[in-house]
Amino acid sequence: MGSGALKNRWMPGVAAWLFVLSAECAVQAAAPPPAAATATTSLSGATINFAPNDPAGEWHSQARDYANSRYSPLHQIDTGNVGKLRVAWTFSDGTLHGHEAAPLVIGDTMYVVTPFPDMLYALDLTQPGASIKWTFKPNPSPAAIGKACCDAVTRGVAYANGKLIYNLLDDHTVAVDAKTGKEVWRTRMDDLKTGATMTMAPLVVGNKVFVGNSGGEMGVQGWIAALDVDTGKELWRAYSTGSDQRDLIGADFKPFYGWMKGKDLGISTWPAGMWKHGAGSVWGWISYDPDSNLIYYGTSNPSPRVPAQRPGYNLWASTIFARDADTGMARWAYQTTPHDQWDYDAVNEDLLMDLPIHGQVRKVLVHFDRNAYAYTIDRLTGEVLVAAPFAYLNWSTGFDMKTGQPIVNPDKEPKPGIKLDNVCPPDIGGKDWQPAAASPRTGLVYAGIFNICMDLTDHPAGYIPSTPYDGMEMLRHPAPGGNLGEFMAWNPATGKKVWAIKEKFMTMSGALVTAGDVVFYGTADGWFRAVDARSGKVLWSQKLGSGVIGQPISYLGPDHRQYIAIYSGIGGVATVRADKSLKGFPAGGGTLYVFSIDGDAVGMGAGVMPAASSSSAKP
Amino acid sequence: MKLRTSARPLIPLALLCLLSACEGGSTPPPANNLPAPDEVAAVPLGQPAGITDTPVSALSTANPYADNPQAITAGKALYIKMNCAGCHAYTAKGNMGPDLTDTYWRYGGLPIQIYKSIHDGRPQGMPAWGAALPPREIWKLVAYIQSFGGTMPVSDYRHAREGDVPGEQVAPEASTPPPSRPHEIQ
Repeated sequence: MGSGALKNRWMPGVAAWLFVLSAECAVQAAAPPPAAATATTSLSGATINFAPNDPAGEWHSQARDYANSRYSPLHQIDTGNVGKLRVAWTFSDGTLHGHEAAPLVIGDTMYVVTPFPDMLYALDLTQPGASIKWTFKPNPSPAAIGKACCDAVTRGVAYANGKLIYNLLDDHTVAVDAKTGKEVWRTRMDDLKTGATMTMAPLVVGNKVFVGNSGGEMGVQGWIAALDVDTGKELWRAYSTGSDQRDLIGADFKPFYGWMKGKDLGISTWPAGMWKHGAGSVWGWISYDPDSNLIYYGTSNPSPRVPAQRPGYNLWASTIFARDADTGMARWAYQTTPHDQWDYDAVNEDLLMDLPIHGQVRKVLVHFDRNAYAYTIDRLTGEVLVAAPFAYLNWSTGFDMKTGQPIVNPDKEPKPGIKLDNVCPPDIGGKDWQPAAASPRTGLVYAGIFNICMDLTDHPAGYIPSTPYDGMEMLRHPAPGGNLGEFMAWNPATGKKVWAIKEKFMTMSGALVTAGDVVFYGTADGWFRAVDARSGKVLWSQKLGSGVIGQPISYLGPDHRQYIAIYSGIGGVATVRADKSLKGFPAGGGTLYVFSIDGDAVGMGAGVMPAASSSSAKP
Repeated sequence: MKLRTSARPLIPLALLCLLSACEGGSTPPPANNLPAPDEVAAVPLGQPAGITDTPVSALSTANPYADNPQAITAGKALYIKMNCAGCHAYTAKGNMGPDLTDTYWRYGGLPIQIYKSIHDGRPQGMPAWGAALPPREIWKLVAYIQSFGGTMPVSDYRHAREGDVPGEQVAPEASTPPPSRPHEIQ
């Protein structure tokens, strides 16, 4: 990994910043960190467009910016003082399904969303302990709980034009007035009777909000749609299977590789009619490039999971799409796992960077796929520039850069009714939906990944609406090394791991990196850690009540103090069946933890006794 | 766990038999031995208001296929074929849907209550199979579920309903991670 050599080279620079930052910290709020540092110490030379350039101390979307960087420009908390982080306040939301969403901070208000029943809380950051301003109860149908493959979760809320917009598990997109907590509009997007649910976090660009469905295990028809932010009216919808017309594929569609060119491939790469229940749901992240006006996202596994039932590439399942944000028309596509046989969805985040590769700056997207390859792809053309394994895999023996296809290991192709042992990675991949973060200061991408394999037996599945259309019987176990999780720093220009931290349990939280060069992540057994972004050294760890599968954020309070916030609440797929010798797996929870240096917070201090009427008193 | 029926080893499933193919054996009782529709209809989901007890005859309805190896094998085939395994897992230890092997039953663990859950569906996503499967097939599914040993015996229906059953010691450091979720990912 070479981290020792890197550490030595960086150390003088790090020490210099620490001095500058600590001197500055006494007074600074959100002043940019020293710019010179970026130029001299970035390992990849990557730059990131931080549009829409929200206020430095706020967090308006799940990924903070269109590029999906999850980079905070705040730097009061840095590698020198992060060890003094203490709990400032906590908030229990009363629900126990997996907590996967990041809080938002808009002005002096924090907004948190719960898993089912998808409640929304507004918390007043000006008050000691952040009292509740309002609660919104959307009342989704409980039938949705049993249709969601992977726990009744939501991955968060988006903010735009004074409205909070998010998806309910029962297939409705709702907009809520951020000031009053009253519903503004509600649009039904899919039919629960087909087994479709909605769990993804919307992305808002201008007057459009982009949403998609879940249900790769239910044989749904996957789609992405754009709605009007002010009215909830549907503007366009692009399906992932079927004819070019319904998939919004037209004359502008120019995939880089020949095998994805042709008419109606969303029909012809399937056995007759199978595309109708072929999934390709859109349950992950969406990113946006303002320069090209393209959105990027991935589609889920093809249904059913038994590949013998669907010979062919199964387009456009397990595929990354680039689409025009205004029209929805596809510009290019790239199927990461052709004829996916192992449930390797392509829904993981596409992180947008401008990156020097072979002496030329390329506009790229960086994508850690479930299939355990990390891709650096030209985001204007769909050309794969770098493809390298980031986690243990054995389903593929190599990568053909000419065709842009992984080379499949025939020994790991499932056959119906025959138990196949030790396929790596498992269905949840080398990494699942938990999003990575990137820093322009280090040029690195940080991600929680897995070290897991599976034994599987395929059972041919019949399509019965509202039941799983699946067929994969499987059991997961740790890959070589015995650890289930890992947190890593990745150089997207070279396709190499820079450092890694092994974790006993799954590392399934989102990542946050700050201008203080600190990276934050959590573990399934409830540890929340701060790490030196350059060396990978763990600088601080705090055990939380339950496991962490949420996404950390950083914000400035009304007191101009930097805070770090993270949900604790295990669930989702992190409740993996593990080796029986593994002990210490936590129970569920639903608590937001907010940290600051020394635990200082608005109106808090020794012996604080907020007045009963404090909720209406501004400090 | 005195109140559990004893778990029986499952007969290995040689073939994924079709519905009709499972009918031919000699052991299953004739269809006219199945509980009568009005008997099944008399089973309430909740506790009846205004009266002190539910009629014994309703809740104590036995599964005519209970402990019948051929019916259990047919029930397992149905469990996979009807995609039950997709929700409750191939191990039946739960996933999208609840664990069917333990002793906790949200809507009752008596054979007739399990029959009703399958026949009528339940509010958190359990589909109603009454329109798709004839009663005898549902009873075979119940027999398969009974074979896991976590259901409540008919003779102890009062205890089961009142929660008058022993608890279990589950020390955190001795337990494996919570319910096996063998295949749950999107």
